[in-house]
Amino acid sequence: MDPSEVEFLAEKELIRVVPNFSQDKIYLIGGEIGPFNPGLQIDIPLWMALNLKQRQKCRILPPDWMDVEKLEEIKQNEHDSKYFTEMPSQHYMEITQLLLKQAISDIPQADVIRTLVKDIWDLRVAKLRSSIDTFIKSDTTHAKLNFLTLMEINTVRPFLTKSLDQMHKLKTNLHGGDMGNSTIESQSQD
Amino acid sequence: MSDISNLIEEDSDNDGEAMTAAEVLQKLEEAWLNEKFAPDLLENKSDIVDCMMDQLQEMENNIKLAKRGDFKVSLHRMEIDRIRFIISSYLRRRLEKVERFAVCVLEAEEKRDDEEASRLTPEEHQYAKDYQESVEMHMKNLALRHMPPNSQKMDPNLTTIRPNVDSYVFLKVNKHQEGVLVEEESSDAGEEVLDLVKGDQHIIRYRPISSLVENGSVTLM
Repeated sequence: MDPSEVEFLAEKELIRVVPNFSQDKIYLIGGEIGPFNPGLQIDIPLWMALNLKQRQKCRILPPDWMDVEKLEEIKQNEHDSKYFTEMPSQHYMEITQLLLKQAISDIPQADVIRTLVKDIWDLRVAKLRSSIDTFIKSDTTHAKLNFLTLMEINTVRPFLTKSLDQMHKLKTNLHGGDMGNSTIESQSQD
Repeated sequence: MSDISNLIEEDSDNDGEAMTAAEVLQKLEEAWLNEKFAPDLLENKSDIVDCMMDQLQEMENNIKLAKRGDFKVSLHRMEIDRIRFIISSYLRRRLEKVERFAVCVLEAEEKRDDEEASRLTPEEHQYAKDYQESVEMHMKNLALRHMPPNSQKMDPNLTTIRPNVDSYVFLKVNKHQEGVLVEEESSDAGEEVLDLVKGDQHIIRYRPISSLVENGSVTLM
């Protein structure tokens, strides 16, 4: 899966904005939004919020977790825990990237936030790498990965799936002997 | 503007199933993700696709009728583009599988009984046949007819490409499942049975859980 597709999914998340225009209810295929009143907060999907922001029609409010203290706490938890901790949003990375790129003026202490989120990401990906290492060496055939976000999973997807596929092939050939040349297995793709 | 708001006021009748358009959209996204990551061709969801296409058509019509209220129109247009992307990506992925596994797919189609639903839409079936014929014709004209007489046929047993149903996939659990048989009994490993708790994420071979994908208890991610 392409990272931009992961971002596409992340853009469905709701985010709070303060519009500067008024508009009555909109009936989208995916649900109703609105009405918009200037100065009143409203929750809308991220894709819509970014578009409105670009057209200078609203101000974006950072999500509750996008706050220096909260992120420091999350980072500390992630650091202390041997396992993966639950993230405040399944799309924390994508949301941070998008907001810091397109709505940076609405995010207080943007640089600190950027660094903190990056640190959290690095911690988790490092944990992921070492647990993958253990996983593959231990010859287990399946694993539980709760609390991993889609972006993180997507980052390791090609390596992890392909190497497990290869290991499975080697294992079954060891026991099954020649299964006949009849079927040519295809390479699995993303 | 009443023109656009008229749209969702009506129930989106879908063969008598009262699903809201939002629910259909959700199902479409799940179908897209499942099809994307499954190594094998899944059941076709043409009812969902058709329903969504109708919704999109209606929405496009409504937008045309709208006055130059540029505003609502652009938001609707963005949503339409997003949904079109999902539908195209879904159909493209299916077509990719039909092309790669054309022989297999046609074989399965021959073998199934009349009561079982087909995995292919009629268009995909026709496409598979045409594609297969073109490839065979191409092979024949390019190489086979120049071969010595006893090597002029290609043995389907030796040359068909089959989907690797044992490839590993990531999944998330929608419905609690107990006792899913993950590994068969073999000479050095006993059989392994797994309980799938709602909300968990796993990496696992596709083969043991393929029926769970079909019935919606898990979604691939």
